[in-house]
Amino acid sequence: MQLNTGMKVNRITDEVWEIPTSEKSGMLVPARIYGTPGILQSMDQGVFDQVTNVACLPGIQRYALCMPDGHWGYGFPIGGVAAFDVREGVISPGGVGYDVNCGMRLIRTDLTLAEVAPRLPRLMDELFRRVPAGVGAGGSVKLSRSDLNAVMVQGARWCVEQGYGWHRDLERSEEGGCIRVTDPSTVSDQAIGRGISQLGTLGSGNHYLEVQVVSNDRIFDPATAAALGITGQDQIVVMVHCGSRGFGHQVATDYLKVFAKAMRRYGISVNDQQLACAPFRSQEGQDYYAAMNCAANMAFANRQVITHHVREAFTAVFGPSAEELGMELVYDVAHNIAKIERYPEGELLVHRKGATRAFGPGSMELTPEFRETGQPVICGGSMETGSYLLVGTDRAVEETFGSTMHGSGRTMSRAQAKKQVRGEQLQQQMKQHGILVKAVSMSGLAEEAGFAYKNISDVVETVEGAGITKRVAELRPIGNIKG
Amino acid sequence: MSYEFRFLEDVALADIAFEAEGDSIEDLFQGATRALLETMADPQTVGASWNRRIVKMDAALDDLLVEWLSEIVYWKDAAGVVFHEAPLSLTHHNGQWKIEASLIGAPVDHTLQTLRNDVKGITRHLYKVGQNGPLWKATVVVDV
Repeated sequence: MQLNTGMKVNRITDEVWEIPTSEKSGMLVPARIYGTPGILQSMDQGVFDQVTNVACLPGIQRYALCMPDGHWGYGFPIGGVAAFDVREGVISPGGVGYDVNCGMRLIRTDLTLAEVAPRLPRLMDELFRRVPAGVGAGGSVKLSRSDLNAVMVQGARWCVEQGYGWHRDLERSEEGGCIRVTDPSTVSDQAIGRGISQLGTLGSGNHYLEVQVVSNDRIFDPATAAALGITGQDQIVVMVHCGSRGFGHQVATDYLKVFAKAMRRYGISVNDQQLACAPFRSQEGQDYYAAMNCAANMAFANRQVITHHVREAFTAVFGPSAEELGMELVYDVAHNIAKIERYPEGELLVHRKGATRAFGPGSMELTPEFRETGQPVICGGSMETGSYLLVGTDRAVEETFGSTMHGSGRTMSRAQAKKQVRGEQLQQQMKQHGILVKAVSMSGLAEEAGFAYKNISDVVETVEGAGITKRVAELRPIGNIKG
Repeated sequence: MSYEFRFLEDVALADIAFEAEGDSIEDLFQGATRALLETMADPQTVGASWNRRIVKMDAALDDLLVEWLSEIVYWKDAAGVVFHEAPLSLTHHNGQWKIEASLIGAPVDHTLQTLRNDVKGITRHLYKVGQNGPLWKATVVVDV
């Protein structure tokens, strides 16, 4: 098998591959990559270099992991998972990413394709008008400094209390949409300046809001689907992919700088500046953890406000209230975050960067309604190919610190993608395939063309084959809004 | 006095990388600045109704470039603007590099401007600033 690395890669199973500690000086644990042989061969050299760099970080437990949608990132690869002992280990912004709590949200409806299709153009116009997207776009919610402090501490809960959503939305969000360990004093004025006007905005890049359809033949587990409100029969659902916007980006920028200096003080050396880290129990580590959680709460709040505007848009187009349209939240889940979780080794700080928590049925961390199904996992594919709803498994908890894939993963750079197609041309092609696209930036649209990504079905089959997630339903796009 | 920049195809899979070069350090800063402005929006489609004077100092040239580019990203979000140009001058005195610049642009308006990427941050991944023969060069990867 020809791989983009000179390192020895041993087969553990058909979907799990291991790079032993002998392959790089300083590796404390082996690195494990999830993927079929085909996926492994398509991975860029950065994945192998970066996951083995992660394996060198102090306090790492068991394995440095990379999911099958993995690709080159900063410090950690995208798709990277690593758990650190909370007493001896480190915390690293490079293991979380610039977009703290970038994540996915899925909203169900009682509407069908037949009901929505005739009004889809108007629906997309309403969504585009109500959910600001693209460079520098400001949100509709005007926050004072004290409001933003409340968002940092209360996350989506603050939004619901202000009327942007329903209390039961919180029960269907990771951490109830609010992580408790926060301290707004650890957040810089620059982060506040960047984030204060951005609540309820989508951003750009690979962020999107998508109207999707679930057909009966794409439901793989009818009982679990029904328990999550997915009934099929060309049911319409809405997916949201975005994060903490400029607020979280600045938190990452600020603490990478702090940690670069702190590492010298703590005698830590890393193979890549973007792996800058500090002992979790140090002042710098605790400050970043608190600031990162403030940003995570900002992201939960951001997706909550967007949900509110999505519900308003549907009511404006179809008439009945959002409750009458059955617009319940299926789930909201982070894929860029570091969290303390309990495993046989004890309390660990699990970094997931472009990886999703995937707790199985019975996990006491889940609210009761998900203890039979397992935790919903929402994976966004490219805007041309579709997305998946999955659920976590107990095996994920045993093998991958309760983690799985987050999307399809890029195989082509943005610059290359733009050379192959123009945004306007792609928009026309997608329209011919029954997908209406509204985009702020046509060049940004071209960068997100489907051919720039792995086939998400291959990635999903890998995680199902490995037993770390189960397929519930495939979601096919019919309308997409991009920044 | 001149600068050039080009976007790199094979460096940043999910993000954007550029290489800037100039006859002088000041030219290099101008080239890198222009590349960043072009990453966010087409400067030719952006007006000049907003401006901000920026002064920053640092002993290390490479740190100063990251700080300056990060400042541009900050104002993009904090003021909700994109940029037409950013004339700048660079001096070195008592061991400190000093950049004095004007950020000139206009509030974001997708009906008037050709918008491109919402830059999240200036990374230090594969980051390089140095002299290559008579030219100063920098490689910068931005997270989008």
